[in-house]
Amino acid sequence: MEAYLLAVFITALVYVLLAVGLDFQYGFTGLINFGHVGFFAIGAYAAALCAVRLHWPPVVGFGLAIVLPALIAWPLGRVALRLHDEYLAIVTLGFSEIVRLVIISEKELTNGGQGVPGVPRLFTVFASNGWNDFLLAILLALTCALVVWLLRQITRSPYGRLIQAIRDDQTALLALGKNPARFKTQVLMVGSGIAGLAGAFYAHYVSFVTPDQFTPLVTFYVWMAIIMGGVGRLRGAVAGAFLLVAFLEGSRFIRDVVPGVSEVAMSNVRLAAVGLALILFMRFAPQGLLGRRR
Amino acid sequence: MDLVWADYANLVLNGLAEGLLIALPALAVTLVFGVARFPNAATGDLVSVGGFGAFGAYKVSGGSFLMAAIGGLAAGAAAGLASWQLVFKPVARHGSVTLLLTSIGLGFLIRALLGLGFGNEHNMFELPMMRAWTMGAIAINRMDGIVALLALATMIGVFALLHATPAGRVLRAMADNVDLARVAGINTARASAWMWSLVGVVCGIAGVLVGLKTQVSPEVGAELLLAAFAAAVVGGLGNPLGAVAGAVVLGVAQELSTPFVGFTYKIALSYAVMLLVLLWRPQGLFNRVQGVR
Repeated sequence: MEAYLLAVFITALVYVLLAVGLDFQYGFTGLINFGHVGFFAIGAYAAALCAVRLHWPPVVGFGLAIVLPALIAWPLGRVALRLHDEYLAIVTLGFSEIVRLVIISEKELTNGGQGVPGVPRLFTVFASNGWNDFLLAILLALTCALVVWLLRQITRSPYGRLIQAIRDDQTALLALGKNPARFKTQVLMVGSGIAGLAGAFYAHYVSFVTPDQFTPLVTFYVWMAIIMGGVGRLRGAVAGAFLLVAFLEGSRFIRDVVPGVSEVAMSNVRLAAVGLALILFMRFAPQGLLGRRR
Repeated sequence: MDLVWADYANLVLNGLAEGLLIALPALAVTLVFGVARFPNAATGDLVSVGGFGAFGAYKVSGGSFLMAAIGGLAAGAAAGLASWQLVFKPVARHGSVTLLLTSIGLGFLIRALLGLGFGNEHNMFELPMMRAWTMGAIAINRMDGIVALLALATMIGVFALLHATPAGRVLRAMADNVDLARVAGINTARASAWMWSLVGVVCGIAGVLVGLKTQVSPEVGAELLLAAFAAAVVGGLGNPLGAVAGAVVLGVAQELSTPFVGFTYKIALSYAVMLLVLLWRPQGLFNRVQGVR
């Protein structure tokens, strides 16, 4: 039971990192990033391949997992951010699918659809995995706290006011002589770096990465989290990530109550619930449970 | 690798067939964008609904392809109209982000309901064996030819509707400027309902054709979505003729690239082309520059 709760807690913290990164992009700057999972995947594979293929220490892998997605976000932002919001949504959604396609196709590098097994655990001081996972959870929680604190400092700085002005009135900002595309690109890079960091933790925790773990559905789980918790508020994103994981884990128990539900039917029920929740939240509570009223 | 001209001709023909099929959902994306100003991410799932409508009618009628076509068309139209009335209309004034996220949710919901209702198996139409049409070294898969011609006929019908009927004129006026259309006395609510029914019909027919060419399953439409988005963006969002041209250009470019970049990167090629087009002409190949609204 403790092991299960710890697993749920770690999963929730990974979603916290993903959610605050996306909230920084969408909630504060108004960027519609539908390819969050692509940056998550790049981070996870960077850390995994560094450890498994090159046997480099995790510190290097984590560094690459942050830097690589941020660098890849740069050209994407340059192209898409000069355009309307909807274009960024389409471009990023396509990007994340192409990342998955590359992972599946480049078998020499990524082992294709079979995935990369045997990503080493971060802590091997104890003989039992439980204690090692416990240490990982503490490190991850500290990382989350640090990231949230940093984002809080950024969003409360003059820079933070500037990016929120991009969200609220881009034309006014242009009139003040600021270049929104430049700041949007920076925000896209920061959020993507955070997603990559989440990916590195995820890879070292599950110790087995496959392309199936990085479908667009994950992106929209994160969107669900920030919409449920509240757009444009970091504590909303954190709460939303926990709500999301509670919901995803809770839906597993439906099978204990209602017997005879197949795994396929269950995944359909979960998909339907996510879809319905998105529709209803956008209609009745677009600012989420903890979000700012406008 | 030695390729003679006939190989290239065959690739071009395959690309045309592929492109004309993608053109239907691309047209649906661009029609919605023109009037409602958001890229509808549930477009692919409306195609799946059409496929199941067709397959259901086909089974019930004991194997009639005419009934399958009618079933697909009716299911698509009903789903299109229902998605407007029940889902999009209440949030139509909330801005494009809300509509976009709502369409993502609707897409998931439709896909999940299709999976729960009909199962996630792949259903195939029982097609008679057909020999390919051949002209020297050029061969056309007969089913591909029929699918392409039906797609072309559908598009001609849509363009006739847009350019030769009062309802079409209303839709074009709304695509140009919704507020001006309303001020001019156009009943935009009714016109929107028409537009969504039309989009549903286009998606329904696409579902029938995809079903004939490949299979009917809850995921089959969603897999077309990225290609349809790319085609609509390349042609210029909101421009119906551009969407069709974009789909055909991308279809041919994808097929011609397969000898060089391989089969798996077809959709990636479409995306690369799309990004280049966005860099070069952000408004799309066939749209005029217009001010930001």
